[in-house]
Amino acid sequence: MPELFGIPITGANIAFFVLALIILLSGVTVLMMDKLMHMAVALGGVFLGVAGIFILLGADFVGIVQIMIYAGAITILMVFALMLTQNGDETRTAQPHPTRTWLTLIFTVVFVGIIVIVLRSVQWPVSQNAIEPFTQPTVNLIAQALYHTYMIPFELVSLLLTAALVGAVLIARKEEE
Amino acid sequence: MYSQDFIFILLFVVLGLALPMATLAMIGPLLRPKHPTKEKLKTYESGLDPVGDARVRYNVRYYLFALMFLAFDVETVFLYPWAVEYHNLGLYGFTEMLIFLVLLAIGLVYAWRKKVLEWK
Amino acid sequence: MFHWESTPLTGLSFLGMVIGAVVVLLIALAVVTYAIYFERKFIGWMQLRIGPNRVGPFGLFQSFADILKLLIKEDVIPDKADRIMFLLAPVIAFVPSFMVLAVIPFSSTHVFTAGLNVGVLYYLAISAITILGVVLGGWASNNKYSLIGGMRSAAQMISYEIPLGLSIVGVVLLSGSLNMNVIVAHQAKMWFIIPQIIGFVVFIIAGLAELNRTPFDLPEAESELVAGYHTEYSGFRFAFFMLTEYVYAFALAALATTLFLGGWSGPFLPSWLWFVIKTAAVIFFLFWVRATMPRMRGDQLMSFAWKVLIPVALFNLLLTGGLYLL
Repeated sequence: MPELFGIPITGANIAFFVLALIILLSGVTVLMMDKLMHMAVALGGVFLGVAGIFILLGADFVGIVQIMIYAGAITILMVFALMLTQNGDETRTAQPHPTRTWLTLIFTVVFVGIIVIVLRSVQWPVSQNAIEPFTQPTVNLIAQALYHTYMIPFELVSLLLTAALVGAVLIARKEEE
Repeated sequence: MYSQDFIFILLFVVLGLALPMATLAMIGPLLRPKHPTKEKLKTYESGLDPVGDARVRYNVRYYLFALMFLAFDVETVFLYPWAVEYHNLGLYGFTEMLIFLVLLAIGLVYAWRKKVLEWK
Repeated sequence: MFHWESTPLTGLSFLGMVIGAVVVLLIALAVVTYAIYFERKFIGWMQLRIGPNRVGPFGLFQSFADILKLLIKEDVIPDKADRIMFLLAPVIAFVPSFMVLAVIPFSSTHVFTAGLNVGVLYYLAISAITILGVVLGGWASNNKYSLIGGMRSAAQMISYEIPLGLSIVGVVLLSGSLNMNVIVAHQAKMWFIIPQIIGFVVFIIAGLAELNRTPFDLPEAESELVAGYHTEYSGFRFAFFMLTEYVYAFALAALATTLFLGGWSGPFLPSWLWFVIKTAAVIFFLFWVRATMPRMRGDQLMSFAWKVLIPVALFNLLLTGGLYLL
């Protein structure tokens, strides 16, 4: 199998790097944009990329749920951007001092350098046996874990959701008065 | 292999992007005229000059629905794996989901009683 | 039986996939073209008019004429619009509408179908992305009608997405799978519309609202919002918003067929023909509703989803679960 920098060129590896690139580029775009609406769209790119990674790892249920929840969440983010700012059009405040920009750059380079050195110097354990494919659809596996093994946490989630719901209603009521 | 299904879906993404790109960006400009005038590029407002800007702070009345949507969206996600495994879970699973749904229904009833589900 | 996951990935099978996907695209475009024609024709007949009858015999080429007209119309981008987002919005709206067709089992041989184990959820998740395109289009136009229309669409679509999702859970429960192929196979003895009649009713009502169709076409209420979120769109960009709506009408009819009406299964006729008949019946039902029902009142719209549809869907779920145990 052909290799590039010691990584075999397979479909899965190519897909991973393309997805990683999408995630990183979208993430940087989120930070670079001035308008909230543009940020929200770029954020969508991040979430789609992450969903792609999940699917690539065989966790199709989690990947699809990721899309489902965040498609709604980003819509809501947009609605809130419209409500709370000058229609998602809030321009950036004063530019930071140039020295600060330079200092930020230097510290970032140093930080990334340290991380790279640390990552390269550690001997990472490598699994010797090939990963077994899932014997059942992941949905069934998740269901067995959620509704047998982790029953109490699951019920607590519903409590959490109810609390969130009641909290939202309270805030909405307060707004009106 | 199961992953081939996702390759098939990837093809749908590519085709779905290709169709608008081909028609809007490549074929379209060859066929359609382009004579922009100042009047044409004005924002439409029933034939009058637009008053002010559309980008003002706009109170979206139904943001509460948005918040409730998030809670119920998560709930739906929990229901799907439950339904898939229901034939193995039996009465145990039924009781479990009953508690889950009753707790959420309390939230819904609360919102209902506080009259935030109305349109004002 | 043929499945993509059971064939090895070779150059030839990849080519087969490409052909399969292109065929689905062409089918979707053809269905949309003629759905628009028949919608105008049927509603014409129901209102004792003739409907389109000028272009070609019986006006059969009317939709092609419309498409050509839209193609050669100028593409106006308002000065005040947010250019990039304005251009991007129709694409964001359209791509998911086509993507959802990937999991629909059109016939008993699954050449045009990805047999995802999360198929039903995939449909719901991907179709939720379209709301983004709609909100974005409304905002980017920088037009008051567009913005209000976009906001209304978003509120309506997210509200009705919940009952839509809940109404399907009953079907999933009975078949024990999210895979649409399995769901169809489980309906060999009895269509799920019979045990899941409540679920089906909720599904159709919520589906109509998701499609922004009459009686839930408030986001596009001509009398108050001009054209809703696509007021500023012209030419082929407008066409893509329309295309999105009709592809979803097709996809929703196909989903209803698959989940409740037994999918492609049926006696004597080939499987794809059964699928066509059932889907056409559901699409016809959508037209019928449009010709019959008046538009809903704004204040009823939201509370109907939360106070009627969601409780009913939850009740149906508990009922199904309880009966399944007996």
